[in-house]
Amino acid sequence: MALPMRFDTKYGLSNMRDKKAGKKLSVRDIVLLGMMVCSLEVGKLALAMIPNVEIVSLMIIVYTVCFGVKTIYAIIVFVLLECVFWGVGLWTIMYLYVWPILGIAAYFFRKIDSKWFWSVFSAIFGLLFGPLCSLTYLVMGGLKVAFGWWIAGIPWDLVHCVANFVVMFVLYSPLVRLLRRFGRFDGEIDKM
Amino acid sequence: MKTNDTKSKNKIFLAIILLAILVIAAIVMYMVFKQKTSQGSKAITVSVVYDDGSQDDYKIRTDAEYLRDVTDEIEELEIDGHYDGTSFYIDAVNGVTADYDADGAYWAIYVDGEYGNYGFEKQPVADGAAYEIRYEVWTE
Repeated sequence: MALPMRFDTKYGLSNMRDKKAGKKLSVRDIVLLGMMVCSLEVGKLALAMIPNVEIVSLMIIVYTVCFGVKTIYAIIVFVLLECVFWGVGLWTIMYLYVWPILGIAAYFFRKIDSKWFWSVFSAIFGLLFGPLCSLTYLVMGGLKVAFGWWIAGIPWDLVHCVANFVVMFVLYSPLVRLLRRFGRFDGEIDKM
Repeated sequence: MKTNDTKSKNKIFLAIILLAILVIAAIVMYMVFKQKTSQGSKAITVSVVYDDGSQDDYKIRTDAEYLRDVTDEIEELEIDGHYDGTSFYIDAVNGVTADYDADGAYWAIYVDGEYGNYGFEKQPVADGAAYEIRYEVWTE
């Protein structure tokens, strides 16, 4: 018997069976994660030619709002896939903590359903992307290298900040609406 | 419900304030600590002596290797010329034209008062040197 589908702020789009199963991943979750990772990867590649304009932040935030903790799995697989495609470099180490930090931070505010809030949140993340990434240089080359690297990248952090705000402001509402509709549709399939 | 709305609005307001502070801080940090272009290592003087004997002096610090690159760095100094083979010949300086075909006039290069042997484009630049671009007329 199909269990009722509901939107839950902790587990995201899930039904009672998911709740009973606790944090174990169901087959549907794995498919969902595959779709999340795929869209993250394609989204990143699609805008790769425009410096510091990206939709990965948008998707991680929206997925966290809609699917809750499951998003962290998608982020981990996304970073691993990046390593497979592009090899391991310094930026891989940055990605290992930068994107999970975004997911975890978004998780704490997931109950807020406001495009204004998430646009500002995403803009702040864009601005902090440089300082966060410079932490790797702090370990590798010391404070002077990390500080210099961050300062030199501030104009691009500002671009990232503005781009993230605009992208989130334009796409947050339609994407969340779409994903919630997808949840209802998924529930219908479940009843068949 | 109303309390939740107020809480959300407060969070949005705080987020906007935080963003504004971060943006201002980032801009200030960049302006203060950005990599500054170092002053040129060579201090030189470029003088232009016109046909009426008047003179313009330009003091500049530069890293340029050749005189032409130095004059390109001086915004107030405008030099027009042409290539004859591989050599660059000065036609006009700051609007004053020397026409050799008409009256034997030309622009000569002097380095520390001595006639320059390398030409305008190939003249090496040395620290402390005085370069002169002088209007002269060839007379037999």
